[in-house]
Amino acid sequence: MIRYIIQRVLAALVTIWITTIAVTLLIHAVPGDPVRIMYAKFQSTPEQIEAVRIALGLDQPIYIQYGLYVSRLFQGDLGRSIVGDQPVLDILLTRFPPTLLLATTSLVIAVVIGLSLGFLAAYKRGTVIDVGAMVLAVLGVSIPHFWLGLLLLFFFALQLGWLPVAGSDLRSLILPALTLGLANAAVLARLTRSAMIDIFDQDFVRTARAKGLPKTMVLYRHALRAGLVPIVSMMGLQFAYMMGGAIVVENVFAWNGVGRLAIEAVFARDYPLIQGFILFFATVIVLVSLVIDLLYAVLDPRIRYS
Amino acid sequence: MASIAPTTIAENVHGELAGFWLRLVKSPTGLIGLLIVLTLIATALFAVWIAPFDPLQMGAGPRLQPPSAQYWFGTDDFGRDLFSRVVYGARLTLQIGVIAVGISLTSGLLLGLVAGYAGGWTERVLMRLVDVLFSFTEIVIALACLAILGIGLTNAMIAIGIASIPFYARVTHSVVLVEKGKPYFEAGIAAGAGHVRMIFLHLLPNVVPTLIVVGTLGISTAVLAAAGLSFLGLGAQPPEPEWGFMLSSSRDLISRAPWMMIFPGSAIAITVLGFNLLGDGIREVLDPRQVMR
Repeated sequence: MIRYIIQRVLAALVTIWITTIAVTLLIHAVPGDPVRIMYAKFQSTPEQIEAVRIALGLDQPIYIQYGLYVSRLFQGDLGRSIVGDQPVLDILLTRFPPTLLLATTSLVIAVVIGLSLGFLAAYKRGTVIDVGAMVLAVLGVSIPHFWLGLLLLFFFALQLGWLPVAGSDLRSLILPALTLGLANAAVLARLTRSAMIDIFDQDFVRTARAKGLPKTMVLYRHALRAGLVPIVSMMGLQFAYMMGGAIVVENVFAWNGVGRLAIEAVFARDYPLIQGFILFFATVIVLVSLVIDLLYAVLDPRIRYS
Repeated sequence: MASIAPTTIAENVHGELAGFWLRLVKSPTGLIGLLIVLTLIATALFAVWIAPFDPLQMGAGPRLQPPSAQYWFGTDDFGRDLFSRVVYGARLTLQIGVIAVGISLTSGLLLGLVAGYAGGWTERVLMRLVDVLFSFTEIVIALACLAILGIGLTNAMIAIGIASIPFYARVTHSVVLVEKGKPYFEAGIAAGAGHVRMIFLHLLPNVVPTLIVVGTLGISTAVLAAAGLSFLGLGAQPPEPEWGFMLSSSRDLISRAPWMMIFPGSAIAITVLGFNLLGDGIREVLDPRQVMR
């Protein structure tokens, strides 16, 4: 167990370390002069451009740039944005909570709907319910997030007037969270179904039934518990999908999170902000997957004792 | 011996291919998927004859007309015929799917083959790198690529292609690991086959079936991603008749002209559904154990 934890933590640290290198190299991969591209919209003299280049450390050899970047990173300094000239970390920290709220709410919706649908489909395997649930799931996987968002917006906000079109309060959270949650519920439903079908076929479930345990007890105490293990192992990936999906959905509903920020930054070619976003986003995903993997180890004795 | 072996293999493959198509159209998933994809291809090929108007022609009709006998899908805010735009959009969509998957599939395939075949440090370093990229999520890699390359539909295709490389590398790698344990592989090595021969003549043919399934499903992911980027304004630019971009220009007019949102959106969803069903159908045919479930 200790070995497993150390391995996972090390792997996470290596990932974050490689991200810092990738992020430093990013600006050098830009064809042409990144400083000129960033400042294309502003009237700037060659002297000003040169001053920015020095301020960003781009006049230094690349290994020194990397060293500077990392040493600033340890002081919590991710540089300053080009647009608005604010500390990148401050911007990210103000825009992150709405994204986290959206992603977790959607995850809860996806888990509740996806697990129940998948479980039901597996339990009623081969019946109309199973086919219906799986047709729904395939449709859910195929409908683009942003179109589902627009459809929900059209019906619930514009036609029925039940929910606001955009905003930052909790009522405005419902539509984006539903959009993201429903789309991912479809993925989870398919996963749950195949995991549960594997479990239902196993000896211990048959034994539990044969020894006369009540059906609900077999379902919940034996089958569901075992079936949850592979599903939990997918949760890290699910959370990553949710965060990725949030980037698009936030833009449909004008939800003011990091996703919208990232798109604005790409449009403005605000490289310090883009670099900060990638590092921040990757770190969040790596840390969340780490926590989920460790939880998974606690859940699955095969990992705990290996 | 040498003269007999190739013909028998060819005959086998030929027989298997016929059986493959037969089994594919017998499964409802495969048949529906195949029909949708074929319709899409036909629409793209014959767009010139199918579309009643030039997709870029402004004022082909009055602005914001609801669907009618003349304008099947209605018109947009520039008076362009939406049906014609959706029809021409099929071309862009197919192009996006094929190019993006082409990039990710070939690169991922090579990476996975080399890593899996070489083993040792090469494998560890390559796959660790792939894992790192994988954990970034595809959309972040795509955004990083677009930040480097600049926005536009071609760059979006490249970005999506690059973003999915880790996925294909992982899939290929896992198949190679399984194949390496089989007797034919050891026999090949024992017979003194060179690296290139082992990789391309022995491993590759056994990796292909899995990659056909994954690649077909991958086209749907690529189409979704490209439409998403265009929706965000990072992909197709006006006046291109790209479905995602059409959806994004419908946003401000949703209550006045909902058809501007409904038709391009349905086109994306049906296309993605088609490739998903086709991929599932092919998987059922190639791996019958899955169907038994």
